[in-house]
Amino acid sequence: MLRAVQCLTLAGVVLATARPVVAQEATKESTTIGGYGEIHYTNPRGRNTPAEVNLRRFVVYLAHSFNDRIAFRSELEVEDAKVEGGSSGGEVALEQAFLDYRVSDALTVRTGLVLPPVGIINETHEPPSFNGVDRPAFDHDVIPTTWREIGVGVVGRLPVADGWNYRLYLVNGLKANGFTDAEGIRGGRQEGREASFANPSLTGRIEWVRPAGGLRVGGSFWYGGTTGGDTLLGRGTFDAPIAVLSADARYQRGPLALRAVVATVSVSDANTINSLYGSAVGSRIAGGYLEGAYDVVSHLSAFVRHERYDTQADVPAGTTRDRGFARRVTTLGLTFKPTWNTAFKGDYTLLRTAAGTGEGEILRLGVGYQF
Amino acid sequence: MMQGAPPAKVAASLRRIFGPGADASVLTVAADTVLRVARGDSLLGFAAVGNVIGKDQPITFLVAIDPADRLRDVDVLVYREPYGGEVAYDAWRRQFRGKSAADSLRVGREIRAISGATISVHAVTLGVKRVLADLTRWHQTGAIR
Repeated sequence: MLRAVQCLTLAGVVLATARPVVAQEATKESTTIGGYGEIHYTNPRGRNTPAEVNLRRFVVYLAHSFNDRIAFRSELEVEDAKVEGGSSGGEVALEQAFLDYRVSDALTVRTGLVLPPVGIINETHEPPSFNGVDRPAFDHDVIPTTWREIGVGVVGRLPVADGWNYRLYLVNGLKANGFTDAEGIRGGRQEGREASFANPSLTGRIEWVRPAGGLRVGGSFWYGGTTGGDTLLGRGTFDAPIAVLSADARYQRGPLALRAVVATVSVSDANTINSLYGSAVGSRIAGGYLEGAYDVVSHLSAFVRHERYDTQADVPAGTTRDRGFARRVTTLGLTFKPTWNTAFKGDYTLLRTAAGTGEGEILRLGVGYQF
Repeated sequence: MMQGAPPAKVAASLRRIFGPGADASVLTVAADTVLRVARGDSLLGFAAVGNVIGKDQPITFLVAIDPADRLRDVDVLVYREPYGGEVAYDAWRRQFRGKSAADSLRVGREIRAISGATISVHAVTLGVKRVLADLTRWHQTGAIR
């Protein structure tokens, strides 16, 4: 999406800056194609755990501007290279597809399949933008990336001072019948497929960017019911509610880059959910990670990330807590980026749990790109 | 070749950069447009408008140089995308001031990155570099004077 710069002719200057809106709208239609992807080599340590190679993601970004104010933006994703009837794995899915109506810098109205603005990775997931071959495990089990739901909302800059941005969406809710002990709310996502709108939910974010660059901090939330229309779980819009609260920070200074994310998910009716669906969902799911990276030589950075999270940080009465879900994941690795939008990655992950079960070590290699 | 005055938004940007009383006239170099800025008889500098594509929309910016071919300032004239608009902040743009075409302008080194605005930062940095190089070349070869 980075194209050659061109000096505008005088006519172009007038077109871009000074013509009345109506004239501008008639002349600005354009389509943009982009994409990103990642290919992984994963080798868990130990016998009988052979390595695997996978075309993890292949995503086509397609956007169209109808005029200066209205744009359609979408991402169509193929996971695991192919989808075949009867075999597991593989997915073709829309990751995003929405129409933006830009009223001003402070207000864009967005309608469609959108990304809840929770954490860092859910909204910014292009492989060159993060360290490590795979996304952080936390961004799978606690914040269920890539999380997308259908709704309507507003995004823009807060006019209070430079650097403040917000987003606020009303979207379809999660469904508690998909919640699990190991992956929390992940299985409750509806992802735009004939989604129940029994529990309209609110999600939003406020963030502050240091105007000179180098630091971005944000706070996010999600709140909504999870019945999915199952009257055994409840009849009210906000029945069996979950609340997600998260905070994150990204800091860059010279060769040093740091990021940190924390999140907590409260499942207040976990007890009812577990007895109704025979699951063992935690009543609280919580954790976070810290990551530091340093450019050791030009384009090559070394990083270390430490994640701690527990999908059963608390369990309701009647559910036995499995300490095997209290995970500590440490990842050490290298990221080589010959350009800002291509990455060659290698890392080593050590997974430990409070129970000592399900532990392991994994070597990963991968490449990623975006354009 | 001289022809007329620049559009209002460009003129306002030039007044901000060069101060009140700066007059701009429009020159053309082949297919490109350059603004020559002067106060009375004294030359203050040159400027040109460029466009780069961010994630999917053009970012329209202006680069101004002084008579010694040093970058005077960058202005983001129109930013159209919902994210990445931080490149318009003065605190970020000011790091380009005083740079010349021979200086290296690399994101993460001379130019600070903005987490979450990576595409815009790279696009604008590349755009500024190219317009700065064009203006410098045209000035040094006498195409603009």
